[in-house]
Amino acid sequence: MDNEAILRKYKRRQRLIDILPVVALAALFAILVATVQSKGYRLDMYLKIVFNEGVVLAVVATGAVFIYTLGSFDISLGASTLFSATLGVMTYNATQSLPLMILVIFGVAVGCSLLSSVLASVFHIPVFVTTVAMMSVLSAIAAQIITTNGGAVGGISIPSALVKPLDNMGFKIAVLAVFWLICFFVFDFTKIGRKQKFLGGNPVCAQLTGIQVNKYAIIAFVMAGIGVGLGAFLTLVYTPSVTATTAGSIGMNIVVAIVFGGMPISGGPRSRIYSALVGGFSYILLNNILKLLIDSNIGYGVSQIVSAVFFLAVVYVTGLNYRSQMLPR
Amino acid sequence: MKKALALILALVMVLALAACGSSAPAANNDAPAADSGKTVKIGVLVSDVSGEEALGFRAYYENYIAKNYNVEFTYTEQLEDAAAEKAAIEKFAAQGYDAILSLAASDRTTQIETCEANGLYYAVVSGMLDDAQFEQFKSNEHFVGQIGPSMDTEFEAGYAMGKYFADQGAKTVGIYGAFIPNPMHVYRTAGVLAGLGCTYGGASDKDGIAGQLFGDQGVDMSKVQCGDTQIIGYFQGFGDTTFDELFAIIGQQPDAFLSVGMATTFFADSLNGANIPYSDIDSFTSGNAANMADGTLVYLAGKYSSSIGPIFAATLNAVNGNPIRDAQGNALSISQGYLVATDSETFDNIFNGDKGDSPIFSKDLLDTVIGAVSYDDFVSLVESK
Amino acid sequence: MKTPILEMKHIRKTFASTVALGDVDLNVYPGEIRGLIGENGSGKSTISSIAAGMQKADSGEMRYHGDSWNPVSMIDALSKGIGMIVQESGTIQGVSVAENLFLGETKQFPGPFGTIDRKAMNAKADEALQAIGVKNVSGATPMGALDFQTRKLVEIAKVVMKDPEILVVDETTTALSQEGRSILYTLMKKLRDEGKAVLFISHDLDEIMEVCDTLTVLRDGAIIRHFTKDEFDADAIRTSMIGRELQGDYYRSDYTPSHLEEVAVKAEHISLGEALQDVSITVYKGEIVGIGGLSHCGMHPLGKILFGAVKPDSGEVVTGDGVKVTSETVAMKQAFGYVSKDRDVESLSLTASIRDNIAIAGMEKYAVNNFLMLNSREKVYVDKQISDLSIKCADRDQAVSQLSGGNKQKVVFGKWIGRGSEVLILDCPTRGVDIGVKRAMYQLMTELKNEGKSIVMISEEMPELMGMSDRLIIMKDGRITHEFARSTSLSDAEIIQYMI
Repeated sequence: MDNEAILRKYKRRQRLIDILPVVALAALFAILVATVQSKGYRLDMYLKIVFNEGVVLAVVATGAVFIYTLGSFDISLGASTLFSATLGVMTYNATQSLPLMILVIFGVAVGCSLLSSVLASVFHIPVFVTTVAMMSVLSAIAAQIITTNGGAVGGISIPSALVKPLDNMGFKIAVLAVFWLICFFVFDFTKIGRKQKFLGGNPVCAQLTGIQVNKYAIIAFVMAGIGVGLGAFLTLVYTPSVTATTAGSIGMNIVVAIVFGGMPISGGPRSRIYSALVGGFSYILLNNILKLLIDSNIGYGVSQIVSAVFFLAVVYVTGLNYRSQMLPR
Repeated sequence: MKKALALILALVMVLALAACGSSAPAANNDAPAADSGKTVKIGVLVSDVSGEEALGFRAYYENYIAKNYNVEFTYTEQLEDAAAEKAAIEKFAAQGYDAILSLAASDRTTQIETCEANGLYYAVVSGMLDDAQFEQFKSNEHFVGQIGPSMDTEFEAGYAMGKYFADQGAKTVGIYGAFIPNPMHVYRTAGVLAGLGCTYGGASDKDGIAGQLFGDQGVDMSKVQCGDTQIIGYFQGFGDTTFDELFAIIGQQPDAFLSVGMATTFFADSLNGANIPYSDIDSFTSGNAANMADGTLVYLAGKYSSSIGPIFAATLNAVNGNPIRDAQGNALSISQGYLVATDSETFDNIFNGDKGDSPIFSKDLLDTVIGAVSYDDFVSLVESK
Repeated sequence: MKTPILEMKHIRKTFASTVALGDVDLNVYPGEIRGLIGENGSGKSTISSIAAGMQKADSGEMRYHGDSWNPVSMIDALSKGIGMIVQESGTIQGVSVAENLFLGETKQFPGPFGTIDRKAMNAKADEALQAIGVKNVSGATPMGALDFQTRKLVEIAKVVMKDPEILVVDETTTALSQEGRSILYTLMKKLRDEGKAVLFISHDLDEIMEVCDTLTVLRDGAIIRHFTKDEFDADAIRTSMIGRELQGDYYRSDYTPSHLEEVAVKAEHISLGEALQDVSITVYKGEIVGIGGLSHCGMHPLGKILFGAVKPDSGEVVTGDGVKVTSETVAMKQAFGYVSKDRDVESLSLTASIRDNIAIAGMEKYAVNNFLMLNSREKVYVDKQISDLSIKCADRDQAVSQLSGGNKQKVVFGKWIGRGSEVLILDCPTRGVDIGVKRAMYQLMTELKNEGKSIVMISEEMPELMGMSDRLIIMKDGRITHEFARSTSLSDAEIIQYMI
């Protein structure tokens, strides 16, 4: 009956897998630094670029962790980032008011997210289905607005001087830190986060433990909506224009980020709030390293293939984590 | 456990390789100035990596220009949005590049501002800024300029095509609007309507028609009023019903089928087979030569691959300290029209005249404008072709 | 002495450092139903799964009809004569019963153009089901439409239709009601009478004594003793299973029904579709109310209705204070707890840790201002449940999926008891639990009763209903047919006549 040795081994491996994403991030960071240095490129600029590329992904994905924790999936996050940025720009151009623009961005982002989850609970369909519909609708409306108003330029924009003062590392790090800490607190130190993790692990049992499934789904979508709003705002801070393709890759990158961060895609008790942050930056670092190491003239897509292989490897390793290991009876 | 360890090991190995393997000497970030011994590094922003035109451009730069001049071109991956464009420019800057040539158009304002902030020269290779944007940046010393079809040129290309068929006496035509609301296709389509002698929502001028097409996201047939030439069908985009829409038009046996882009790629077989004369705005390729010689392609407007030679020359000059500016010190802005072929002979002349090793803008020709040359000399060279 | 069908000699099996089987010899003879009994981890499942090709022994020798026996898989073993019905296994929900039965073998029903002749396949499936006594299921029925028990019967049919010489039945009866069990018992007897053999693994001592001809007791990976039918004696068997005399009473020692004055919960005129017709019950504080009946008598949905998890078509559940229990959330506010029959799905989140599972229901007990969750306070709360209930685990962060059935159930109890539940609705609380844990649970229930808490125990096991209840309510076809008060004179026969 003494299974201690197995358990010790199991726990050791679990701990290792828990810290693996962080180790990977550190390693990727070191590799990037070494590569940039050895090629004689400007390291300070590279770090800034990587941060700028990663910050929007990290913010949106951190909000999205709440949804993924429930074992759910929101494919419309990229589209709602685009949509809220679009309406934000339209609002500014109509009113010349920055506060109103920010208000609209967040209102729209949270509103879209809420709509997905409320529709799902009203019609008793998986929320994933409503987000698929939302994705099509939001990107179509945004594209319509952008092309109608953008005309020959093909995009709409706010004056670049408006948010330029905010386009610096200090502001962005502050935004990321504050949002992440709030999420961290809600996720790990309140009943909300704990109940969401439990719900993701076993919704039937959660329901029979008095957890109201719809209520926590809605809270998760609101958190994700706030992340989308911040992401849309940071997108505008980096480039003050919106085109129909803005934030187009965010939706899929969120999945990659969360997986790279070591969180099971099925959510549940092993969900980690830091996954999005760690995974998001790891992914961006990896992409940049590959682009630096692989000569772009070899052909398009080589670095994508390498990063896909890496993705599968990560899924496999993290899979070892939650593929439950039954002890002998 | 073992696998995790293996992964870490692999990472460490990659790290070691990256650290030791690179023997590239540290490039210095100084301006290359006039030192002709130093390779000029140019980053190219692209939003299309697979189109015929894009491939032709790339081949010209990489296989011809790079062999004949001391320059190195680095192409980006497909840039999806403004943020990707900005990041790409910043990376080129971090790598000590000298100039950016842009084929990507999500946000040109940000592209120019980013180049300026990082001290890179910038030129638009394909397409043009809109008037307000050009006004804003024309005096910016990092902005080399733009040579290409402006929206006016796009409209004119469509207009010439429409007028060609109207003059030929076509009574019934079908129109393919390609990827409206892509601005290029909007202006071409507006031009086609005007060239055919039609009005759209009462408007007959460029801005009047194009503005409404942007609003309608396509051509609303109920707003079209035509004279002698009737439009019997219109469609755009590419999806499940595209071929049904095409066959509905073919079934009515129109006198001509006018396309503002991509028809030679999508519909050539169907149109050749149905014996319907058609036109397109595309490029001078062997496929199109065959469509014109053996099929029913009767009108092709297109760019040729080496049309992007002069903007390279202007950029190289700027990097080497010989910027070409007009009398007011403004950046270049030269509208480069399309070449049109309506018969195989013309087509072949253009096609054969711009082959890989002997492009229209050859080294000999470009050398006449490299170095300290006047604005007028430069413009006259571009306009000579 | 007959020659054995299967001889197993010097079988050893270890998992890492754990010895699951140490040098075990076991013979299976034709014409016997041999029971294998032992606590969790005794090795009874390991030895039988080695025989049936599910895993390999580290060393040892097996002979089947005198020839060397080394099956490479369960399918291989089944095709050669040893079939096993496992405790937790799967049928595929999305397809029909027939497709489940003939999974991977549909080629034997060729239709035109490489298709499957479904008609022939379904007919053959009907035949296989009827052969084991399952009358009301057809091969064409989608698997997902069947309940848990019927799915189990399909699994049994799937093994039996291969006509094995030795049938291994591992803990299967815990999933079955009385009817299901009687189908299985009939089948086992038929095999025995045909000169075949059955290896029957169960936790349930009463069942095993009833059904088996011989009995082998295992403990800590070794065979302790073989019993023949005439040697069967519950105390002797228990003693050899546990290795010591059981101290104290198994069930409650008193035989007087008792409860406090106050009503804890009242269900009034509950009806639910076909399942329940106008059922009313009242449960008092300090009372254990047993509810018994056949599996489909409506007692399981009644348990969920009491907890607010299922809305009845008519009628209502009201607490002693007059609060209507309309949802799980309300029920929990009123300090109700519900232990489901389907433990792994409805009572536990298997991938979560012991800590998560216990803490989730009791957060308001230790959260600061009912909001802020602190690790330190949570650990104290969880560790108290682990030690109070003596949950055997490495530590609180161990995943519950790694625990034995009994310890899993203790976690479920800890989840509800820790938050101070006043009314506990227990649906088959001792299902799949070994007797050591069972006994602990019975003692716990008695303690809770003495503290004035109320317990509704829904069970399909007669002895525990009689042994524990102050009042025993018997249901049949969605109605209450009789109510017995606690007494020494209750008998199985008397109760069963109200069930069927």
